[in-house]
Amino acid sequence: MTGKRIITLVLIIAVLALLAALPAVVSRDSIINMAVLVLLYVALASSWNILGGYTGQTNLGHAAFFGLGGLTTRLLWLSAGWSLFPSLLAGAGAATTLALIIGTPAFKLKGVYFAIGTLALGQVLNVTVGDMFPMITSLPVQQLVSYQLLPRYYLFVGLAVLTVGTAYVLVNSRLGLGMMAVREEEEAAESLGVSAFRHKLLALVVSAFLAGLTGGAFAFYHVGYYPQFLFSPVWTFDALMMAYIGGTGTIIGPIIGALFFVVAKELLALRLVEIHLTVFGTLFILVVLFLPGGFVQAWASIRRALVRQLGARGVRLASRRQAS
Amino acid sequence: MLGPIAQNLVFGIMVGGLYGLAAVGLSLVFGVTKFLNVAHGELLMLGGYAGFWIFTLWGVDPFLSLPLVVVCLVLIGLVLYKLLFARMVKLTEENKIKNTLLVGFGLSLVFQNMALRLWSADDRGITTAYSGQALTLFGVRFPVVRLASLAIAVVTLLLLDLFLHRTYTGKAIRATVQDWEAATLMGIDIHRVYLLSFVVGAAVAGIAGALVSVGYSIEPAMGLEWTLIALIVMVLGGLGSIVGTFVGGLVLGVTQSLTSYWIGGTYREIVALLIFLVVLVFRPQGLFGSKEG
Amino acid sequence: MRSRISVLFVLVFVMSGLLTACGSPTAAPATQVPATQAPEPTDVPKPPTPAAIEIGASMPLTGKYGALGAMVKPGYEYAVADINAAGGIYVKEYDAKIPLRLTIYDDESDPTKAVSKLETLYSDQKVVAYLGGAGSDMHAATSAIAEKNGVPYCGVAFALWQIHQQGYRYLFSPFPKSPDQARDVYEILNGLPEGERPTKVAIFQEKTDWGIELGGLWKDNAATYGYEVVAYEEYAPRSEDFSGMILKAQAAGAQTLLAMPSPPDGLAMVKQMAELGWAPEFSLIIRAPENVTWGETLGTTGDYITIFPGWHNGEKFPGVAELNAAYQAQFGRPADLLTGPAYACVQIFADAIARAGTLDRAALRDAVAATDMMTVVGPVTFNADGTGNVLNPLIQWQSGKLELVWPPEQATADLLFPAPAFDKR
Repeated sequence: MTGKRIITLVLIIAVLALLAALPAVVSRDSIINMAVLVLLYVALASSWNILGGYTGQTNLGHAAFFGLGGLTTRLLWLSAGWSLFPSLLAGAGAATTLALIIGTPAFKLKGVYFAIGTLALGQVLNVTVGDMFPMITSLPVQQLVSYQLLPRYYLFVGLAVLTVGTAYVLVNSRLGLGMMAVREEEEAAESLGVSAFRHKLLALVVSAFLAGLTGGAFAFYHVGYYPQFLFSPVWTFDALMMAYIGGTGTIIGPIIGALFFVVAKELLALRLVEIHLTVFGTLFILVVLFLPGGFVQAWASIRRALVRQLGARGVRLASRRQAS
Repeated sequence: MLGPIAQNLVFGIMVGGLYGLAAVGLSLVFGVTKFLNVAHGELLMLGGYAGFWIFTLWGVDPFLSLPLVVVCLVLIGLVLYKLLFARMVKLTEENKIKNTLLVGFGLSLVFQNMALRLWSADDRGITTAYSGQALTLFGVRFPVVRLASLAIAVVTLLLLDLFLHRTYTGKAIRATVQDWEAATLMGIDIHRVYLLSFVVGAAVAGIAGALVSVGYSIEPAMGLEWTLIALIVMVLGGLGSIVGTFVGGLVLGVTQSLTSYWIGGTYREIVALLIFLVVLVFRPQGLFGSKEG
Repeated sequence: MRSRISVLFVLVFVMSGLLTACGSPTAAPATQVPATQAPEPTDVPKPPTPAAIEIGASMPLTGKYGALGAMVKPGYEYAVADINAAGGIYVKEYDAKIPLRLTIYDDESDPTKAVSKLETLYSDQKVVAYLGGAGSDMHAATSAIAEKNGVPYCGVAFALWQIHQQGYRYLFSPFPKSPDQARDVYEILNGLPEGERPTKVAIFQEKTDWGIELGGLWKDNAATYGYEVVAYEEYAPRSEDFSGMILKAQAAGAQTLLAMPSPPDGLAMVKQMAELGWAPEFSLIIRAPENVTWGETLGTTGDYITIFPGWHNGEKFPGVAELNAAYQAQFGRPADLLTGPAYACVQIFADAIARAGTLDRAALRDAVAATDMMTVVGPVTFNADGTGNVLNPLIQWQSGKLELVWPPEQATADLLFPAPAFDKR
């Protein structure tokens, strides 16, 4: 047990060191940009996973929180001249406020009704923002000329670490146990004194806060886009796919999912210009068919099989030694 | 004053009929199999291109070619089910939704790009000799094409309803919706029921797609939008009621049209979505859904 | 089980293989191999000559702007092929002719992906110039990257004027902009005899930045030229139902329709105009009817509609005939509306590189700004904001074909006016 823990700790430190040293190792901006995208999706998918994976509430309106965070941060940072960190916090705050407002009516809905209700909610914001802010938001020329990629990269590193760390601490706490109990059997959890609504709301608020923060980081990173773009349902679906394909309800799942999704797609796009999406789609289907529980579950079963094999061989070896 | 509103209502009902039809296929598949096939919009697109192709290659009238479109989509549905979705039957409901969603996502990418290669990214549509003609009744114009589309949507719906309520297979399907374990115990072959629902759902999507290509236009990337509409209409109508789903579509279409006339075109989508959310707050199981949902 | 799995594998791969193989027989490789070039002997020591001048584009080949990207891409490719067939561009710094190497990536009509593709082109291919994609939201994102990286950027297929007012120095666009479109339509209509002018105008404005910009200009200019806006209707993009707006325009007795719908919106709009029996005498519908499939999709219903497309293959400028011939050989039709402007972008860069005599990006930028040359879109010079002084032709769908109707010295046919009712077309 402690051995396993040490290995995990060493792995985490190694990954962090790698992330910190990456810009020193590779000088190509294209790699750093890809890393930014991976980290962005790690944060987005992990934040989705808190409500969708651990609490079992499939939120299809996640883009609303991401978008609202992005919109608020961009407006404050770029137009109102706030400095970055207050703007980021305000963005996350706006997303959290939205979560608090919609929480009560939304959790009246169950299962697929909740999923589609949140989808519609996300679409309301999507269309409204498209109406209210039809103009592009671009960095002004002075900022473009002095644009630095590295601070942005490290912001995303911090964000991904914060998101994953929050998720880890949360799900390993009493509250996390309550969330998972609600996921498994809502009525049973209620009968044990676990308030389903409170746990769901907590998960939603944390998830929204982190998504809002991620949106804000995107607003700081991107040079020019339409505000509505951040509210596109595609952000929700991408986050959900990554969590699913990695393994929902695990910490590492969304990380692996994001890594696979971004890197595979990007590499294919650079090599197979005309057919990359066909190949990616096919690859995606194959992964789902052969690893139906996501990468994490597949890894778990491979490990079990390996252990069984090794264990059997160990027993055989031991008995042979005894015989000789 | 009444004239334009009546006219507007007519257009709203006709759009709504298509929304309804698009959602009926999805609702049937989801209700029976719990497969959340997010490539539903892409099936619709393929139906549209099938109709378009038959029309351009052989000049067959898009309404006459509907049986052929249905055959195409039944075949596609069959292949998809046998190859991919049949593997999901035994999963738990949650895993079923997850895995079919992922497979559907992969499929939508493949289909979109297949369509892009085959037909290019240009917007296509079918214009017949009678497109643009309209019957005038009490000063209100009823476009022939849209009238025919609505009629076909209604006929499809009635046939489906008849099938589900009057035939043994239909009853088996409905029994499976209510309780698949009990249905299995009663000797219903669940694989057959799933396959049938999936294929019928694909065929209905195909019809809807062909009608879209006549009334509007089709392009490879249209799928997501129609999937979203179908999902929302499915829930608005309430799960488990085919007719309810269709009525949900009509409600959505009419709301959008009246909004765009009274309030302005910018708000047609927002108002419709807000009304949907309000409905959900008061009826969390949708307009016609049963409480157990 | 295992056999089923292998069958599946085979099926899926055969399927995707087939789709890609049979789908696009004309698809060109993303990277054009540079033509071989003969090294020229010299006495003076000079920096090593690069094998190719790298230029790159990220464009929407899939997704909602896929149709636009498909028209732009061949323009770039033909121009590069033509320049390389002549041995490349003479660069004084190396005293050698160097061929162009063009790298094109697909950004799926997604501005974030476009940005990452442009960064890849910058850091991996080390491009000296960017060629733009299509669609104003894509250009808005990518031109900012050009500015950030200090790479000259030539973009076509967008009329948004606002992008040019942000002080960008590296953005160039030899393409008509909203102010041109808002002025010329009234100029053209005032060419009609005074009593016949369709002075009651309906504007259907898409609620996007370009829609707001162009719709506003149309509205502002109307009175100056003696026109009256009787209906001004806004709508969100991607609407299925335009009947409400059409009914209002019809009730107001509008004779002219000005609109800028996306292709699906434009098709729905015109179909519903026909069904509701509203046929304005003059319709200027920019964007949707530019699609090559407009005519075959709508048949005679789509006739009489006019467009400001930026270019037409009937223009009488040097190189247009050759471009049409090459396009005809590959696609079975003369060059598409956006292909010419795309071709011109490469011509402009080639000319600027030759004049700059170096591959330094800042020097190249200054050379582009000083452009004064003849291209397939006619004579091109640039204003300080990067907008081009170029021809803004008006074209019209006539019997399922696009005819150039204005300006008169370029016209391939006369403007048909007034448009008859839809059932009499």
